[in-house]
Amino acid sequence: MTIALLGINHRSAPLHIRERLAISCGEGGKPFEELKKISRIQEVLYLSTCNRVEVLVDMEDADEGLEGLKKFITAHGNLSFEEMEKCLYVYRGEEAVRHLFRVSSSLDSLVMGEPQILGQVKDAYRLCVKQKASGVILNKLLHHAFRVAKRVRTETSIANNAVSVSFAAVELAKKIFGTLQGKQVLLIGAGEMAELASRHLVDNGVNRMIFINRTYENAVRLANDFQGTPVEFDLIDTQLGEADIVISSTGSLDCIISADMVEAALRRRKNRLLFLIDLAVPRDIDPVAGDIDNVYLYNIDDLQGVVDQNTQGRLREARKAQSIVDEEVAKFSEWYATLEVVPTIVDLKGKAEEIVKREMEKSHGWMKNIEEEERKNIEILVNSIVNKILHDPVVGLKKESRNGGADPYVAAVKKLFRLK
Amino acid sequence: MAELIFFRIALGAYFVSAMGYIASLLAGRVRVARASMWVFALAFVLHTVPVVARWMGAPSAPSAGVYGSLSFIAWVVSGLYLAFQTKTKTQTLGAFVSPTVVVMMIAASAGLMDEHPIPFALRGPLVTFHIVLQLTGGAFFALACLAGIVYLVQDRLIRGKKVAGFSRLLPPLQDLDRINHLCTVWGFPLMTLGIIAGSIWARSVWGSDWHWDPKQIFTAVSWVLYAVLVHQRVAIGWKGRKAACLSIIAFAGLIFAFIGVNALFVTMHRF
Repeated sequence: MTIALLGINHRSAPLHIRERLAISCGEGGKPFEELKKISRIQEVLYLSTCNRVEVLVDMEDADEGLEGLKKFITAHGNLSFEEMEKCLYVYRGEEAVRHLFRVSSSLDSLVMGEPQILGQVKDAYRLCVKQKASGVILNKLLHHAFRVAKRVRTETSIANNAVSVSFAAVELAKKIFGTLQGKQVLLIGAGEMAELASRHLVDNGVNRMIFINRTYENAVRLANDFQGTPVEFDLIDTQLGEADIVISSTGSLDCIISADMVEAALRRRKNRLLFLIDLAVPRDIDPVAGDIDNVYLYNIDDLQGVVDQNTQGRLREARKAQSIVDEEVAKFSEWYATLEVVPTIVDLKGKAEEIVKREMEKSHGWMKNIEEEERKNIEILVNSIVNKILHDPVVGLKKESRNGGADPYVAAVKKLFRLK
Repeated sequence: MAELIFFRIALGAYFVSAMGYIASLLAGRVRVARASMWVFALAFVLHTVPVVARWMGAPSAPSAGVYGSLSFIAWVVSGLYLAFQTKTKTQTLGAFVSPTVVVMMIAASAGLMDEHPIPFALRGPLVTFHIVLQLTGGAFFALACLAGIVYLVQDRLIRGKKVAGFSRLLPPLQDLDRINHLCTVWGFPLMTLGIIAGSIWARSVWGSDWHWDPKQIFTAVSWVLYAVLVHQRVAIGWKGRKAACLSIIAFAGLIFAFIGVNALFVTMHRF
């Protein structure tokens, strides 16, 4: 029985590979159906966000299971062996648990502390339960992960980092425009980072917000939240001529704002300064647009860079969060380690129960002469003797497993009691 | 001589504020720049005394001569900057304006040492008009140039994503561009009128309004550059970097016409 996690993320693989893999794997129940068929895999969770595709499993045989999982990934990602070796990370046991905890706590995110990822992990788990792909171990593990995320959020100021990234955007806007009063903001797409940045801009005096979304209803919803104006998706071009600050964070694969579009918009807006903020990965705005005079283009990495220049505190908080994760990994491992003795204990108890049952049946002849009540008392007595005898070995096994040295005891118990 | 005392105290105050401004940049504290602004304002008020006294004392050409002209330009630049200061968040622009003013003031006081009489040809009400307009226009363009330089620095920093340190102290781009814009479009008519006044006067004393005098040539070149800049700004809608660059180039031409020509060429247009 082994927990393992394998996947690719924004650090390990370029975007086109991540996209290809995510799209090929499909959504909803589709990846689960395939994953459950891989031999030796008992429980499986599939997580796909714009920055990562990960599969978390509990399996009977690690080597065989991982073989199947790697095949699954390479087939869908259309990866060569070298690419797979380079992009794919595989964690086993405690490392897998640690990675999951780090991901859920947003320590592994592009913008550390961004609030979206926990929701995405929760969604993935919900789907996993719905697909009946979860069991004792993943249930326990995921709930533990949610607890860790909550602890990290409340005990460290990691979450502030995402706030400071959007704050950095506001500070930059002020460095460019002086005052944000009367400035117009165009928000393309949605996403928590974008909404956070918008809220900061509104707090700093921006009073005209335009919302564009491929799904017009989403634009309307956001516009209602911010008292802005929703606009149709094909009007990006026109809006570029009007807005002073553009925040883009769509899930689009290609650039939706090209350098030519920006150049044309700049002519229409008589070269008024334009601040473009690209929060999307993959980028929504052609990086070349940043070379145009009077256009200032910052992407998410640039903003994170600005925040990092500003504070050293983030590292300290990250270390704090890391130690919380380590602590929780240890707790989970303790629980998980007792699992390896659980089948032996179950077998042992099963055998004892079997013996009791058999012996009681043998005694059936003479016992039918005594009263019903006394027969029950005898039964209770026998069971309690058996349980008393088994109690110490069971506790002992669990204790040894917590210390990581249960194997010889398990072997001894199996041999002495002739368990299979 | 009382005016000289005021002039020297003003110079001292300008110097103190310049040091304060520079210290504020080095220390990374905008608050220090705010205090320096008040010293700068005080220096400006003190400076007003010798400028006005000069006007009363030499009604024919109050701002002629090295001392008179430089002191006058420094005074206009200071006043202009203070006026902009109230409207924009440009405290730290003072760190560039005040040293410039100090340098002009020091040069002006050096000019005090060898004041030579103004030639007869350069006396008359139109000449006064010509000089005051030229110098005021020049002061506007000087401030435009300073704002342009700081704009280029800030633009560089923001573009290079180096916004945490020095850039944080520098004024916002749009404010700098606005100062550059306003100074250019106001300075241009002043200078144009000044040139017209000068050429009318030249016609009456020298018989013709164009002499191929080096000072005239370089002023004309700068004027054309400013004309282009004003056209691009107002009609085409130039903003930001290009406008800042052109205003710096044009001002370099103007400085050359004002100072360089005297040193390198023989000019009948000496003051």
